Amino acid sequence: MNLWSAFKKEVLEQARTKKLLIAVILLAAFGMLSPLMAKLIPDIFASIPSLASYSSLIPPPTVNDAVAQYVKNLTQFGVLLALLFSMGAVAQEKDKGTAAMVLSKPMPRSSFLIAKFMAVSLTLAIAMAAAAIGGYYYTYFLFEPLKATAFLEMNGLLLLYMLVYAAVTLFFSSLTRTQFVAIGGAAGVLIVFNILAALPNLGKYAPEAMISNAIALMLGQPISNWWGLWVGLITIGVALAGAWLVFRRQEL
Amino acid sequence: MSNIDVLIKYLPLLIPIVLLQIGLMIFALIDLARRERTRGPKWMWVIIIVLGELIGPIVYLVVGREE
Repeated sequence: MNLWSAFKKEVLEQARTKKLLIAVILLAAFGMLSPLMAKLIPDIFASIPSLASYSSLIPPPTVNDAVAQYVKNLTQFGVLLALLFSMGAVAQEKDKGTAAMVLSKPMPRSSFLIAKFMAVSLTLAIAMAAAAIGGYYYTYFLFEPLKATAFLEMNGLLLLYMLVYAAVTLFFSSLTRTQFVAIGGAAGVLIVFNILAALPNLGKYAPEAMISNAIALMLGQPISNWWGLWVGLITIGVALAGAWLVFRRQEL
Repeated sequence: MSNIDVLIKYLPLLIPIVLLQIGLMIFALIDLARRERTRGPKWMWVIIIVLGELIGPIVYLVVGREE
């Protein structure tokens, strides 16, 4: 079995377990909801008696608020999906014995791992495309048209940010037979990177810097550095290489 | 503008989201009814799916199903 066959098997698995459907519906819904929420926040405040007096303090929402809301929701739920969809990718297959069965055929273990990462990447990419279409049209109807190329670039960066955590979770999944240990390890890395992102001077080195770069791209602001992107790409490479080093001689 | 006016104004944009949510809820309930085993009691999942808005059915589909 080669990489392409393993990839097709994993894509079918993503569809069969409804992961693709879940990702598309969740991200598409938040893609549409984000501009709507940005638009309705002053009305929501005005409709709650205890908060009505504050509604006049809220400035009229702009397209920047819609973009900020979109980025916030998509990164939160996208990373959550990346963690949930990758936690059992290797760990569960080892636990149930299906990994040993699949690898009894002549297939390199590297192909087994890369196929899993590619399948999760494809699922998240399709879901992000659905979110982007929804988000673009809702922003167009509620605010103003967005620059299509900048919006596309922004979504590409957000997808890459999610893939960092998919790769990290896959690494932890290859270490263990328990998927909850895998998600715990990945959540630990997420916390460390978020702490790093909050530190002055060091924040630009965290993959989270990709989020602020994505917003800056969308708003046409200059980007001072791309460290977040490079660290993100290196993290993906290191996590996948680490997963292979651990998994290649592991007893299944 | 009253709450009703706001609702009517944004109704065409709310309908696709509500349909998505209802469709997902029905899909999750059908999956739950057909499934022999779940993680935790079925009645608990019915409550989570019906009352959990968009997130409830997704929590069931990700965590609740026993293969």
